[in-house]
Amino acid sequence: MPDPNGLVNLTIDGAPVSVPKGTLVIEAAKQAGILVPHYCYHPGLPVAGVCRMCLVEIEKAPKLQIACATPVTDGMVVHTQSRQARDGRMGVLELLLINHPLDCPICDQAGECELQDFTFQEGRPATRYSPAYAKRFNPVEDFGPDVLFVPNRCILCTRCVRFMEDVAQEPVLNVSERGDRAYIGIHPDARLDHPWAGNVVDLCPVGSLLSKDFLHKARAWELDKTASICTGCSQGCNITLDTRDDVVVRIRPRPNLAVNRYFICDHGRMNYRWMNRGDRSEAPLVRQPDGTARAVDWDEALERAAAILRGAGGAAVALISPRVSTEALFLARELLASFEWTGAYQLVMGEEAPLAGVPDLALRAERAPNARGADLLGYGPDYAAALRAAEQAAVVLVLDDPQAAVRPAGALIYLGTVPPEDGSDPGADGTLRSAELVLPIANVAEEEGTFVNRDGRVQRYVQAKPAPGMAQPAWWVLGALGARLGRGTAPASAAEVFDRLAASVPAFAGLSYANLGLGGRVIGADAGVPA
Amino acid sequence: MGFPHNPHARETVLLSQYFGDPEARSYKGWVKRGGYEALQQALAMPPAAVTDVVKESGLRGRGGAGFPTGLKWTFMPKEKDKKKPHYLCVNADESEPGTFKDREIMRWTPHALLEGTLITMHAIQADVAYIYIRGEFTEPFAVMEQALAEATAAKALGTFKIYLHKGAGAYICGEETALMSSIEGKRGNPRIKPPFPAAFGVFGMPTTINNVETLAVVPHIITHGAAWHKAMSLSSPKSTGTKLFSVCGHIQKPGNYEVTMGFPLKDLVYELAGGMRPGRTLKACIPGGSSVPILNREETERCLLDYEGCVAEGTLLGSGGVIVFDDSADMVYQIMRLARFYAHESCAQCTQCREGTAWTTKILERVLAGQGKMQDLDLLLDLAENMTGKTICVLSDSCAAPVVSGIKKFRGEFEDYIAGRRRAMVA
Amino acid sequence: MSVVEEYQPVFTGKTLDRLREIFTRYPTKAAAMLPALWLVQEARGWVSDRSMVEVGELLGVTPAHVRGVVTFYTMFHQHPVGRNFVQVCTTSPCNLCGAEDVVQAFLEHTGARELGATSPDGAWTVTEVECLGACGFATPVLVNADFVESVTPERVPEIVRKYK
Repeated sequence: MPDPNGLVNLTIDGAPVSVPKGTLVIEAAKQAGILVPHYCYHPGLPVAGVCRMCLVEIEKAPKLQIACATPVTDGMVVHTQSRQARDGRMGVLELLLINHPLDCPICDQAGECELQDFTFQEGRPATRYSPAYAKRFNPVEDFGPDVLFVPNRCILCTRCVRFMEDVAQEPVLNVSERGDRAYIGIHPDARLDHPWAGNVVDLCPVGSLLSKDFLHKARAWELDKTASICTGCSQGCNITLDTRDDVVVRIRPRPNLAVNRYFICDHGRMNYRWMNRGDRSEAPLVRQPDGTARAVDWDEALERAAAILRGAGGAAVALISPRVSTEALFLARELLASFEWTGAYQLVMGEEAPLAGVPDLALRAERAPNARGADLLGYGPDYAAALRAAEQAAVVLVLDDPQAAVRPAGALIYLGTVPPEDGSDPGADGTLRSAELVLPIANVAEEEGTFVNRDGRVQRYVQAKPAPGMAQPAWWVLGALGARLGRGTAPASAAEVFDRLAASVPAFAGLSYANLGLGGRVIGADAGVPA
Repeated sequence: MGFPHNPHARETVLLSQYFGDPEARSYKGWVKRGGYEALQQALAMPPAAVTDVVKESGLRGRGGAGFPTGLKWTFMPKEKDKKKPHYLCVNADESEPGTFKDREIMRWTPHALLEGTLITMHAIQADVAYIYIRGEFTEPFAVMEQALAEATAAKALGTFKIYLHKGAGAYICGEETALMSSIEGKRGNPRIKPPFPAAFGVFGMPTTINNVETLAVVPHIITHGAAWHKAMSLSSPKSTGTKLFSVCGHIQKPGNYEVTMGFPLKDLVYELAGGMRPGRTLKACIPGGSSVPILNREETERCLLDYEGCVAEGTLLGSGGVIVFDDSADMVYQIMRLARFYAHESCAQCTQCREGTAWTTKILERVLAGQGKMQDLDLLLDLAENMTGKTICVLSDSCAAPVVSGIKKFRGEFEDYIAGRRRAMVA
Repeated sequence: MSVVEEYQPVFTGKTLDRLREIFTRYPTKAAAMLPALWLVQEARGWVSDRSMVEVGELLGVTPAHVRGVVTFYTMFHQHPVGRNFVQVCTTSPCNLCGAEDVVQAFLEHTGARELGATSPDGAWTVTEVECLGACGFATPVLVNADFVESVTPERVPEIVRKYK
């Protein structure tokens, strides 16, 4: 009977499932909480149906069907765990392993390998492949700037080939030869150097395509994974920061169908080393009358800052980095509200690199994650004008812009993840290094916050590791400072700051950390929607 | 140059009537023999009427699968979308071990194929036909090229366009979706169905794919009518017309024999093809090309050559390639050769086929080398089960068929190698 | 100092004209792949990496795609072969009729000695092939583009002489 909602009703392992027409059995099963083992299938790639791993039994079908290429039909009854289906998949696993080197102890993929996982789940306990037969051998090949190919581990699922062909639309990979001699090939003159090529490493279900950057750096089970947002450009790709012992060792894409689907570009992927910098600002520094800086505790530093702000009036300028959280930008603006303030950011521009097969996905020319957030909060892109204004201002607040070449007549407060980098001698007059206060703040990996991407999507990122020394999130510093100036209580969390922001800035009305979730929401589209 | 035999009295020569007659190869010679009359007749009929006649005739695909030809044509869109040209692909990639009938049709009666192609193009409203001829068929290609040039010069093609497309050495391109991939300039990889070719075929357009022999019969059906064709049946009414059987292997008179559907395999082997070599007896026979199960002597002597008759003996009519093995044949070795063939030809897409065909070959080679174990036979059967009915196309199944039937029917020969009763072969 | 041999394109003059005519037969340029590779092999005797680049450029596909195709089809040579290329069918039906002896006879009489190897004088390369589709004419042999039927070991010397 046709469903009134236009849904197709079927049964998978006894559980009733309703899904839209055209849904594949493998996706319908996911909705029932069932992961049908698979290799060649990937929701971001065209269906190939070649690994034959996702064999399931469908009642009334004469033989086992592959869940990845079979659309649901009304009344379909699917068994993923029947004897026949399990035997079929066990057979595939056995065949995938006969030529596999089983070198898991030295393989980077171990621990996050789908061949390991599914073999453990439903493979044969022992091989029947005689040790007398030689295994297929092909030497390791250097495919591109960050991709190494270990052909012996390859199971020829062709995800990499299809990614380059259909998604990157630069088919530099192929399947070469035939039968069991086949391997993933590349033309000798070609390189796997497309700006999005690194995705083949994530897509590879086994340890055949490896990142040189991550090679032998960590074992998968040692990694902690934290949801974050890429700071490489204004696209706002959702990522996972993989940390080992509080060091970021890898960035991988986190699926978000509305932003980056399953992919990130290589620029973003490699954009993490600075998160582990050792030469950080670790204690608040207060300028002494003799010109030297002295490390103090937060209480003294905040008191000094409050004194500066209390005593000043007239013009104030904020020079900010478009990599700072929306929360910090909001509080900075609140802090300067009693002044005639201007705020500006400097945007580094680069070459745009689109991913051809995915609409609206590119490494964007604007190489910062939160310029849109800054715009929404009243900051502007006219950095040169702001620099000129800073020369006359009573107070200049520099927010994680360590290269700001500012020479203010008034007081200069610098909140930074790293020490000033304006190139001048320490203590020289009228430069960032001569700031009254240098306040150490956390970087994106060390705090919670949000960015607003180019399309107005507000997205949360989560803390992955502790901040060094006495560094604190910028929102904490600015919030505590506000409290000392008598502007309410100090916020206890980034979420609380965001709530204040949502209550005060109409564009963010109705948004909260709870309703943003980890997928984010677009400003305007969600405005006014109650949580 | 191999020359055909004079037809045996019990043959029904329709397709093979002019085999060996060099004059029939030319356009003029063909017209003199009544050629292209059926085309004129068909062109005067509405396309659907042509399809109806073929449907009514009971003609089934001669390439191996035996799908009703007229029914296949009805899958093409009735109302032609102007932006979607229709294609006909002619499968002349004859590569099934044991089969060499399409080769002879093209060599001797190229215009029979062209005429059948043109009638079919009319029936399915095709604009373009590609005749996909395997690369090794140098002589048939040259003959077809000449015939096409002559037919074009004689304006026999009308507005239809026919092109020859030369393969380059890949058995799997005989599989219909692989053939389409190959025409598109890609690796000859079979594709998942659905979508079926009639909806989304070569270049994504509605496409019909027919075997050479199937198309060569079509003019005869148009000329003589559906009833005439349907009446040609010695056994099952579901199998009609004549069929070319390629007889080879241990046989006195190898060659193509055309008989009515339902003809006894025994008579084809012992009588028409001259039987065994002196002093030899029949041991086994593969009736439908190397992909079908092997028959032992008793089954061979019982088997009737039509789709149903073969199924009754646990095998398939396939492409009609009859491979005969006499008592001197080493079945273990022959089965290994077949497995090696499939391992060589696997396109590498599906796991079971890519790895399974190669592993099967390795096990068989080991048995032959005297290093096999009794468990190897069970392993082979289990592996064959794993390779059957689980892949995109049937190449994997084709490798399994002779292994399973071979072990079942000639187990003793395998055991002799394993037990050391037969001298091991050095690979 | 290394000397890089300059690549002479295959598709110039008449060969390019032939390719242009082939383009008219298909709705896509990429479909001219097999015919184009045949033209390359006809002109050069094999398909080099550089020729794959040339074909790719003409057909609007990447060299990697061309390479995937070339390696799929066994009739395209990825290395130079002897002036005479002999392919002997050794699949079951021919094997039953003694194809292996025919192979041995070719290896011996051509001086190629080993399957796939080229004879010292560069004249012969002998290979085994899977089914040539002429099982009733065992053993069929392809010498270059010539299809020779019913070859027996006894006939091999005469065939070799003919192509010398």
